[in-house]
Amino acid sequence: MSGRKLLCAAIGALLAGSVAASADTIKVGIIGPFSGPFALQGKNFQAGVEAYMALNGKSVKGHDIEVIYRDLPAANPQQSRALAQELVVKDKVQYLGGVYFTPDAMAITPLLTQANTPLVIFNAATSAIMTQSPLVVRTSFTTAQTTTPLGKIAVERGIKKVITAVSDYGPGIDAEVAFKKAFEAAGGQVVESVRMPLNTNDFSPIMQRVRDSKADAVFAFLPSGPTTLGFVKAYNETGLKQAGIKFLAPGDLTQESDLPALGDGALGLLTTFHYAVSHDSPENKKFVEAAAKAVGGIDQLSFPAVGAFDGMHVIYKMIEATDGKQDAQKAVNAVKGLAWTSPRGPVSIDSETRHITENIYLREVAKGADGKTYNKEIQTFPNQKDPGLPTP
Amino acid sequence: MQAIAKSRQAATVSGGNTHLLRDGLGLLLIIAAGAAGYWLFPDNLALLTRVIAVALLVLSIDLIVGYCGVATLGQATLYGAGAYAAGMACLRGVTEPMTLIVIGAAAGAMAGLVMGTIMLRAHGLAQLVLSIAIVQLAHEAANKASAYTGGSDGLAGFSPSPLFGTFEFDLWGRTAYLFGLALLVLVFILLKFVVASPFGMLCRGIKEDPVRIRSMGAFVFPVLLKMFIISGAVAGMGGALAAISTQVVGLDSVSFELSANSLVMLVLGGLGSLYGALIGTVIFMGFEHFVSAINPFHWMTMVGALLIAVVLVAPGGLSGLIDRALPGMRDKGGQRP
Amino acid sequence: MQTVFSIAIDAFAYGMALFIICIGLSLTMGLMRVINLAHGAFAMIAGYIASYAQRELGTGYAIALLLSILGTIVISIPVERFLYRRIYGSPQLTQVLMTIGITFCVIGITNFFFGPTLKTIPLPASLAAPVDIGFRTVAGHRLFVMACGLVVAAGLWFLIEKTAFGIKLRATVDNAGMADALGIKTQVVYAISFAIALGLAAFGGVVGAEFLPIEPYYALRYMVTFLVVVSVGGAGSIPGALLACLVLGAIDTTARYLMPDFGNFFFYAAVIAIVCVFPRGFLGRAQ
Repeated sequence: MSGRKLLCAAIGALLAGSVAASADTIKVGIIGPFSGPFALQGKNFQAGVEAYMALNGKSVKGHDIEVIYRDLPAANPQQSRALAQELVVKDKVQYLGGVYFTPDAMAITPLLTQANTPLVIFNAATSAIMTQSPLVVRTSFTTAQTTTPLGKIAVERGIKKVITAVSDYGPGIDAEVAFKKAFEAAGGQVVESVRMPLNTNDFSPIMQRVRDSKADAVFAFLPSGPTTLGFVKAYNETGLKQAGIKFLAPGDLTQESDLPALGDGALGLLTTFHYAVSHDSPENKKFVEAAAKAVGGIDQLSFPAVGAFDGMHVIYKMIEATDGKQDAQKAVNAVKGLAWTSPRGPVSIDSETRHITENIYLREVAKGADGKTYNKEIQTFPNQKDPGLPTP
Repeated sequence: MQAIAKSRQAATVSGGNTHLLRDGLGLLLIIAAGAAGYWLFPDNLALLTRVIAVALLVLSIDLIVGYCGVATLGQATLYGAGAYAAGMACLRGVTEPMTLIVIGAAAGAMAGLVMGTIMLRAHGLAQLVLSIAIVQLAHEAANKASAYTGGSDGLAGFSPSPLFGTFEFDLWGRTAYLFGLALLVLVFILLKFVVASPFGMLCRGIKEDPVRIRSMGAFVFPVLLKMFIISGAVAGMGGALAAISTQVVGLDSVSFELSANSLVMLVLGGLGSLYGALIGTVIFMGFEHFVSAINPFHWMTMVGALLIAVVLVAPGGLSGLIDRALPGMRDKGGQRP
Repeated sequence: MQTVFSIAIDAFAYGMALFIICIGLSLTMGLMRVINLAHGAFAMIAGYIASYAQRELGTGYAIALLLSILGTIVISIPVERFLYRRIYGSPQLTQVLMTIGITFCVIGITNFFFGPTLKTIPLPASLAAPVDIGFRTVAGHRLFVMACGLVVAAGLWFLIEKTAFGIKLRATVDNAGMADALGIKTQVVYAISFAIALGLAAFGGVVGAEFLPIEPYYALRYMVTFLVVVSVGGAGSIPGALLACLVLGAIDTTARYLMPDFGNFFFYAAVIAIVCVFPRGFLGRAQ
């Protein structure tokens, strides 16, 4: 046991050295999955933050900004709370940001009022988080928000019968419910709903089911990464594409960092989302350049970066409004109704729900002049709010 | 000299007094380390509380792996049962923390009963695979029953009432930590009695040679099952503590990853002495926290290197290292592989 | 009826892909008595080498495959010499600790060098094209995987049962001390079998990449699946592993077709049932 005490003392001595910081530095704590299976998304958080700081400077009104990253590899509320507590109590951060998974956000919300710290969510996409605490602001999207326009599009394109196939977890179910509601409201019919276990490796049996259902299109939602790859591959290999069965999905599935792996198999997939790296605007051009540099190559750039970029914008505005003083409520009030032009297009923070209002784009995976596939924006649905939250 | 010689003699004859002395000393060290944690890291109490919750889980694994020789990679089933039971009870109006711990222990014990009944049918590798299958099934069930468990979004929105009506589970986490520490010490004392009792000896005997124990006329299955239930109660308390201190229960609390990690912590610390479980948990989680704060992107390599180094330097776990350094402290109860 | 055939083909392909990756692990666990949880990590290393060779060096699929197997074996030699040799004959849990440590290291290192994105191993046109087999089309690589699986099974069986090396290996496994005394260089036998096992892991990692895509977390993501398959088959038994892969592949695929919502339930319930009936796996040796 003496070894343990010795170690405690050693760590204590090391940590004590890192605590000291100048008074005029405002610290921002970012929690995200920087290692493990979702490391790519965490890396994009970092890229977004660094891109914003590179473009807009590292200080606001003379207050230096210091960002502290903490790793939370997978959904783990207990660890999330511990990290948030440490950031607030020990590192004395004035703002919390990041958070990729819903349960992690849920574990932080009860702390906020006591900590007098706002939380700016860069990703976690479940509607209910916003109602947990008045000090939460979100700059990403909700799955319902990005999915809903797809229902109307499907009907407009002459699709009458759809089979839904989603991964069996929170966001997947959100997507299924949102699509079904929108699609049936527009006059379509969902003939079958399949929920696939998260660790499915071979999707051919699911494709067989899609074929048997005689639907015109399949609506899918899976977590990005290996599962998406397997799903899209199976869709092509089993000949569903040749048979003319359309593929509809929210844009998580065709995130840009997965496209090289998906290859030509992804061509023609229709997705709706709030951001595409190819978005044509001067703001986005600047953002992509800076973020690609931070993430280490444009082929690793994906949507969490833009959530982080705009999240930093919100935090900067908060710091401006409070002039460096720690006043969470004042900070949050200051950004209610805030509108600006983000790399993804015009956005604003809804003053009631504190969730971002943004354009949703319909995209098709297409081949660019350089032979690489990209998400081509072909239709815009302006100023979409989150349908999952009560709007006045 | 004479006194030492005498006490050695006493130890060989009865073994009682020195055991008691040693365990008393060990206990004092745990309390001292716990108090040191409180004073040295007043800003990291949520982390330390998490360490305590996991330490309870690792202790529960030590009971069946270290004392009964039953291999398991599914212990998080019991931990998760406790966590979800406490969370659901709290959501339905039972908010008193002590009661929640008891509920967690009961749920863990019941899960232990079921899990033990299935797992004790097999041995060795097959047993390990059974435990994996069980934890995966439990994980899947918790995901499916999202109406009760919140699924992958987690069970949230409950808040335990203040301890003794006055001490709140707040941001600074002092209540949660001291509550957890008291629970850990209490459980540790009880477990020391359990493993030193004739029942504990019987378990150790079964681990060494089940055939001989059986031929001596003892029934192996009920003995091991009983240990499974005790282990389940301990793991369930860990889960309940996690639920109370975090106020969210996620699917990670019934995952293979948590089970595997906690088994790694146990082996790291050393099997079969209860101290090893605590040392392993503190070192592993402390190290992980430390390196992941320094480099949140590539810390996994460092943790891997630590595990490899431990196998090369101290194949019997870190507590074996301490035993070697301080032969006088050697806990004769500890049977290392 | 068509559906049944169709499912059967999918199940067979998936089962064979699992078989190629897992058989090496079955050998290390059954014959060498090492619980090598880092098996998947070596399959992943091979996948990275193959991907790198094709995308950066521009080699063909066959050469990339060969390079990846050789590369993995070369990497494994120092690892075997300095790490694994320390844990032959150690208690299982010590082996678990060491091999998990190696897995963590490999994940961390690949993440550092190759980044966290998915890596693909482009297939040659002949394997990528769908093949018409009468009532449906099957991707060419699926047929390729099936063929590879059968070849691997036959080759291994021949090596272990019919060659001089096989006799030495079996003797070493049964009684290392006695084999040593009879003049068999057991250390060499161990080293060679370890190399074979990892070569198979490498082969499986590359050929099976269409099923289990290559990314840094590969090593941990599929660890449970590999371990389950090996134990259900009976560690060390080639026909056992084959049987296990086919049965589990069939259960997995069929359950996902019939009741996708409960696919995992069926898989793990089947595992529990099989293990309860066959405590040593289908064709495991008595310990």
